[in-house]
Amino acid sequence: MKRQDFAHLLIGLVVLAAAIALPFYVDSRYVIGQVTLGLFYAIVASQWNLLFGFSGVFSLAQMALFGFGGYATAMLCFYFGINVWAAMPLAAVATVLFSLVIGAACLRLSGAYTALLTLAVAQVMYLLIVTDTDCFVMVGTQCRQLTGGAVGFARFGDLGTRAMFKAKFLVADYALVVILFAATMLFTWAIVRGPIGLAFRALRDNPGCAMARGISRFQMQLLVFGLSAFFTGLAGGLYAAHFNAIGPGVLSFSQLFFIIAMVVVGGIGRLWGPLVGAIVLVAADEAMREIGEFRSLGLGIIIAAVMVLMPNGLIGLCESIFDRLRRLRTRSPAIATEISGDTPA
Amino acid sequence: MDIIGPVIVSGITTGALYALATLGLSLVWGSLGMLNMAHGTLLTLGGYAAFTAASQLGWPVPLAVLAAAAVGGFIGALIFVLVAYPLSRRSPETFETTIMIATFGVALTLENTVLRLYGGQPLGQPLSVGGAISLGGFVLPWQDLVIIVSAIALMAATALFLTRTKAGRAIRATAQNPDAAKLMGVPVARVYLQVLILSGMLAGVCGVLVSSITQLSPSLGADPMLKAFIMCVVAGLGNLPGAIITSFALAIVEALVQFLAGARWGFPALLAIVILVLIRRPGGLFGRVEVRRL
Repeated sequence: MKRQDFAHLLIGLVVLAAAIALPFYVDSRYVIGQVTLGLFYAIVASQWNLLFGFSGVFSLAQMALFGFGGYATAMLCFYFGINVWAAMPLAAVATVLFSLVIGAACLRLSGAYTALLTLAVAQVMYLLIVTDTDCFVMVGTQCRQLTGGAVGFARFGDLGTRAMFKAKFLVADYALVVILFAATMLFTWAIVRGPIGLAFRALRDNPGCAMARGISRFQMQLLVFGLSAFFTGLAGGLYAAHFNAIGPGVLSFSQLFFIIAMVVVGGIGRLWGPLVGAIVLVAADEAMREIGEFRSLGLGIIIAAVMVLMPNGLIGLCESIFDRLRRLRTRSPAIATEISGDTPA
Repeated sequence: MDIIGPVIVSGITTGALYALATLGLSLVWGSLGMLNMAHGTLLTLGGYAAFTAASQLGWPVPLAVLAAAAVGGFIGALIFVLVAYPLSRRSPETFETTIMIATFGVALTLENTVLRLYGGQPLGQPLSVGGAISLGGFVLPWQDLVIIVSAIALMAATALFLTRTKAGRAIRATAQNPDAAKLMGVPVARVYLQVLILSGMLAGVCGVLVSSITQLSPSLGADPMLKAFIMCVVAGLGNLPGAIITSFALAIVEALVQFLAGARWGFPALLAIVILVLIRRPGGLFGRVEVRRL
């Protein structure tokens, strides 16, 4: 356990150093923007990983929580004129409460049942927002729905980075997202290695045995559901504030599965899996931009192929390669040299 | 009172469609323990296959419907051979969740293929009949009658197949206990393949029926699939007769809510009912509570 902690700390510092170094070496606004977007995805993916990878709760409402955080932030600013900075934490708390309601309704069941119910909740949210046509307030001559309707909210207030840093505001926003990402990873790590994390993992690996030892499945899974909602909602709020817009698009099927694909590609139940997956998939997405219309087609093939060919993701693949190497080394040295001698240099 | 008739007619029609979509899903869940997220796309593919056969190749109607079934069955077989079988062999303990993610990948791929081939604009399904008959005050469109009759015929055929044929018995045996079935000499892998082909064929024909009252679009199957999922859950996953009864009941409730409160409240109302039912009966309305040994 100690050694693993050290490894995670080391990886964390390297990632942080790389994240800090990036704006000094890359000038392109486009690249910084895409990396920022990728980090938003990585935050949500890491919380889904906490939920599914570490606790075995197969929820499909993660983007709904992200959207809820974004919408709550936008609506607090829009209707009550609250500062964005105050609205984001309020929205995050609201997201946790919302997630507890969803969880109370959906977590009595397990496995595929939970997945279907949470998916249905997310879809109902999407449909209710998109089909909202009743006027709530009039903005100038335009009618505005309570939920923003199919258009969503825009220009409800910003982070103040534009005024403070002028042309460099993208880098400032990037820094904020990096800080949020670091906090999220620290939070996830603290939970996973603590006693609650053990309970979560016990419920994932053997629910029957865990319950027999006195762990309440419903309470524990509700707890992890609520915990994972906090940073998801906060990220949603920051996302809305960064783009100064939020629309029903974040609740779509394909966004949700983009997040899930990140966790799958990186490695389910691996602390750094979501980050690896986010980097690989955002890069792949960029590469496929060249072939334009085939992006989602390619994404579908990647999800299915990775699931079938390497179910433990890229990190799992690396682990098994390292394992094999280590086993080679611990065997008798003669065999090891014989085998390594066979491979061409 | 004039309005009750159309509400019931549309409720029963959509109920028949949901029942058919649910049947295919439930069949696969019951025997493989696999939730096929690509089921909706199989509906879409069936609708487009019939469209191509009937209006682009000029085939007669029965052949076009057969083409839809064939395409659905073929893709179902592909899903089993390329995705479900390797996944179940590699990691049986996480199969329940991994297969959902993997089949969603398949769904995304297929849906975008359809989008590339036919474009995003909605197309009219040529296989539809116009007109209506009036039965003592009830106005029953021919198309709705065709849907109800063919859905019931398909369900009856499936029931006969499952209960009266040797292959059907093998499917039921495998669903009950795959290990015992294997020991009795049932080729379990082949049974799974048959189940996915059967479910794909049902989905293909269901897609033709769905598109005949709406329009063809690449996301045609998404909405019926999500509702079919809900109905499977409320009936108890894998329970075929329960799923069919639930489909009709919930479809009529949905039609009523849509009529009374507006179209956008239909699905939320369904979901609320489902959650309330599941709080009372976590195994579903018709589900048995399984006693599992640890």
